[in-house]
Amino acid sequence: MPPVPFTQGSLFGEADAIGYGSGQVYDEMVNGQGRLRPHWQTFMSSLGPLDSEQMAQRWEEARRLLHQNGVTYNIYGDPNGMERPWPLDMMPLLLPAHEWKAIESGLIQRASLLNAILTDIYGPQTLTRYGRLPPSVIHADPGFRRAVHGIRVPNDVHLHFYAVDLARAPDGRWWVLSDRTQAPSGSGYALENRAVIAKVLPDSFRHCQVERLSGFFDTFKDTLFSIAPRTSAAGRLPRVVLLTPGPYNETYFEHVYLARYLGLTLVEGADLTVRDRTVYLKTLSGLEQVDVILRRLDADFADPLEMRADSSLGVAGLIEAVRAGTVVMANALGSGLMESMAMKSSLPTLCRHLLGEELRLPGVASWWCGNDAERAYVIDHLDGLVIKPAFPSLSFEPIFGAQLSAAERSALTERIKRRPWYFVAQEQMALSTAPVWQDGRLQPRPLVLRVFLCATPSGGYAVMPGGLTRVSSESGRLVVSMQSGGGSKDTWILAPRRADVASGQPRPSALAMEPTASGARPSANDLPSRVADGLYWLGRYAERAEGALRLLRATQSRLIDSNMPGATLQQRPLLDLLGSLGMIPAELARVTESGTSRGLRDALHAAVTDPDHPNSLRAQVLRLHRTAYSVRDRLSMDMWRVVSAIDRQTQQPKGRMDAASLLLRLDDAMIMLAAFSGLEQDSMTRGAGWRFLDIGRRIERSLHMVALMRGVHVADLDRQDEPMQAATLSVLLELGESVMTYRARHLTSVLRTPVLDLLLGEEANPRALAFQLAALDRHMRALPSQGVGTGTDPTGGALAIVAAARNSLERTDAMASSEALRTLLDTLAMTLPDVSNFLAHAYFSHAFARSA
Amino acid sequence: MTPPPSAPASGSSGLSTRYRLRHATAYDYGEDVPISHHLLHLTARPHPRQRIRRSLLTIDPVPAVRTERVDYFGNTVTYVAVQEPHRTFSVIAESEVEVFDPPALAPGDSPSWEHVRDSLRGLAGPDDGAEITQYCFDSALVASSPELLDYVRGSFTPGRPAVAAAIDLMNRINREFAFDPTATTVATPLASVMRNRRGVCQDFAHIAVGCARAIGLPARYVSGYLRTLPPPGQPRLVGADVSHAWASVWCGATAGWLDICPTNACIANRDFITMAWGRDYDDVSPARGILLGGAGHGLTVSVDVEPLED
Repeated sequence: MPPVPFTQGSLFGEADAIGYGSGQVYDEMVNGQGRLRPHWQTFMSSLGPLDSEQMAQRWEEARRLLHQNGVTYNIYGDPNGMERPWPLDMMPLLLPAHEWKAIESGLIQRASLLNAILTDIYGPQTLTRYGRLPPSVIHADPGFRRAVHGIRVPNDVHLHFYAVDLARAPDGRWWVLSDRTQAPSGSGYALENRAVIAKVLPDSFRHCQVERLSGFFDTFKDTLFSIAPRTSAAGRLPRVVLLTPGPYNETYFEHVYLARYLGLTLVEGADLTVRDRTVYLKTLSGLEQVDVILRRLDADFADPLEMRADSSLGVAGLIEAVRAGTVVMANALGSGLMESMAMKSSLPTLCRHLLGEELRLPGVASWWCGNDAERAYVIDHLDGLVIKPAFPSLSFEPIFGAQLSAAERSALTERIKRRPWYFVAQEQMALSTAPVWQDGRLQPRPLVLRVFLCATPSGGYAVMPGGLTRVSSESGRLVVSMQSGGGSKDTWILAPRRADVASGQPRPSALAMEPTASGARPSANDLPSRVADGLYWLGRYAERAEGALRLLRATQSRLIDSNMPGATLQQRPLLDLLGSLGMIPAELARVTESGTSRGLRDALHAAVTDPDHPNSLRAQVLRLHRTAYSVRDRLSMDMWRVVSAIDRQTQQPKGRMDAASLLLRLDDAMIMLAAFSGLEQDSMTRGAGWRFLDIGRRIERSLHMVALMRGVHVADLDRQDEPMQAATLSVLLELGESVMTYRARHLTSVLRTPVLDLLLGEEANPRALAFQLAALDRHMRALPSQGVGTGTDPTGGALAIVAAARNSLERTDAMASSEALRTLLDTLAMTLPDVSNFLAHAYFSHAFARSA
Repeated sequence: MTPPPSAPASGSSGLSTRYRLRHATAYDYGEDVPISHHLLHLTARPHPRQRIRRSLLTIDPVPAVRTERVDYFGNTVTYVAVQEPHRTFSVIAESEVEVFDPPALAPGDSPSWEHVRDSLRGLAGPDDGAEITQYCFDSALVASSPELLDYVRGSFTPGRPAVAAAIDLMNRINREFAFDPTATTVATPLASVMRNRRGVCQDFAHIAVGCARAIGLPARYVSGYLRTLPPPGQPRLVGADVSHAWASVWCGATAGWLDICPTNACIANRDFITMAWGRDYDDVSPARGILLGGAGHGLTVSVDVEPLED
């Protein structure tokens, strides 16, 4: 469908017509006369009438996509848990090509300038020596890393990835608000925003000729591989890793996302070790040298030996490896210095001096109080200024001079005078606004645009044609921050002219939802021990959740429908099991009369949804979710979606839920857990990672089966009357998902020996203990023979236990007598948990660094 | 943690003493540690009033990696990595150092502390002024506070000569703070030392440094050793000495850095052997290590400061 030609005076011609009122500031969409700016016309036409129902549908679609893809942002100190859904507005910010060109050239100049300043400060320091920069600018800044002074970095590139926050003033010009040079975040969210909006507004996206983002990331990836200290002469690609502080970091989602998109191994500090002044990745099959580290960890935490000793996130000896030149950090350690606000007022002079050019993109006027003249100005003009920390490591909320009482003003003045170098003042800028879809209509909201740059292999800089637009939650807010509840927008840079695009080289097809794994994927044997550990526990928790769920579902269904054949009798062993597994209080499990007391109903409800109940289904699902999160880069998007769905299905309902709907919920969750298990089998490569996941599942299923058998006192079953025996065995068959098989073979009578054979001894039954043991044996023999431990044969102990368990099952008299059966089950219950301990010791025993 | 000795040896201008120093540090990790990294400040740094004649580090087990460099403050730092399983780690630093007395002082003659403070701005020109002014600012362990400012004002009264004020500060800390090795550890924050008025030489050095910075003067933390005299009639005990710390305050171009020892209420003379200086203890701790595993650790340090007869 061709775009509807836009005509002035149409429904969208005037802002008033859509109830969009802009204020005194610059609005991105409409001009001062309330008319649509030209570069918005195609978009608005393609969007069609702003029908709130349709917009709501699109919004719902966007929300669904974001949720499915697990796009989150962690808010520190948020009681609602780690993950917060990513807030994305439906309306992109549009910028025309000519305007973008100017921004681009200004930003490239700025990146080169900041890099040149870093090169000087961490090198000869001529700027401070010859009075072009006050030395206190660097010495007062805790972000100045003395430990890395004097270390030469390859090609003098300190800044490989750089982000700038821009704002537009009422006069229409873009100004730099701040620089992000430590470990800039947001580019992954920008990618994700694009993926979602391009899906939700496909027509607009097509008609508007939007610049694609993928080329930028290809360049960045090339750069990362090109800065490796060793060439590929050795016949192998350099190993580039992304170093994350871990799942508790606010932007962990992005670390996972970018690692996948760029084809890098995601690592935490504990995955790395330094030997011989060289960084290695600890993998299951030994140490693998690391050449380049893209770091999302602040320099302060990077090396507990030379930086903060209390950091458990870093790598001891890392700086010594950097000094030796065996590894390259991107960004270089110390690059965070350029986030200093104290330096901003010197940039125009430094630009002239270092680059011989005028600074093209102005910074918001700022005054550093460490300089006498600037301080005097600040104190005289507090009213019109915002006071901010001069250095990013000192954090206090911006102080708006105009809002201070006389007493507060003089207190502030005193504070400034006492330690002037820690304060900077900025002009208070009126941010431009862009339309946000809210409450069924478009409303103007202040915005800040974050733009990203990367170093190119040839030594220059490239700008991502797009960005992360953040809007504030209220129209009058002066602070735009994701941490304080703002939203985000996709940013569309419109291609120059249609003809240019058509004649150019073919553009990459659309941006794929699944990050493209271009080039070198992390190799098969790069599984960090920590990840193996995580996958192992993922298998265990998934299986544990399934076990709990089957038990709850079996109980719940009998409580609802007591007409089910055998329902009343079967409640007995089920309640026994719930009690012995700690899911309901033991005294409730011992209730003798049938039927449902109020207390029991409540307890069962809690056993499903109470997150604070340690053995509830909800608690197991939370563990599953958290573990999945920590190894998210190893799970497919579909697996992650299933985990999210399970999480949703087991949340505590808002109101009270009746027994029938609880049962329905359990059914749904069961299907999702089955789907997860199916994806494990069908969509994971049979590498060591998969094996650890499956080992976890097999061990958990073995332990669960033994616990069920012991929980119903199967060895003492002959003391019960026959109907009770049959009821108990039927429950075991149901929990062991083997009812069908049993019926097919034995038709009606439920007898102990065939049931136990089927659930314990039969290797062909995927629910039987023997099946689990056979699988464990196979897996462990296939694992890398040398774990991180130093023992002779890491799996030897575990293999011996499994072999003994299999032998005892195969003995013909194993289940002949009650006594033999009890001994068998007791022995299994005692020895099988050690399989887990042996494996943990052999493969997961991360020795964490500590200071001495 | 040098307790106030009964009588610090005194000396007069131009005289020097030669020492043989031995600083042994031994860790017992309790169980095998597969790898450990260490950063050592155990080699005496260059100093205008010191001559280093010999310097040797003996490390056991022999480390796989050992490098030496000069840090941002001019100290000699040794990086060491032991990469084989080891249960113990020891470093023996031995050196021979000659230390000279500082020139005689006329405390009243120095410029006022305000003048010294205000002329710091002029230092930031095409010279090494930054080398001095970098010690003006907060550091990891020493952050200025209103309490420090209150305290220092008692000594840095308006117009008082910088040297006289610094000496007064030193004497007040010596009088008003109790030497008490049980009161603090390396992790005790400065604010609580200030509140409780107890601590050891490291704490007093930090207090002096923080005080000087609070009124705008650069101040360094100095780590080293102090010659101690045995009680009368007894022989000198080998290994009974300990590391020492004091402060160095910038008193203007003429007087330069004035090394004050609040623990003993004296100006550092040839009884004080300087090893390293920085903004605070964190910059110059004699031995810092990160190890993997291990079951806790025992630490034994013995220091021997032996004056040599000519």
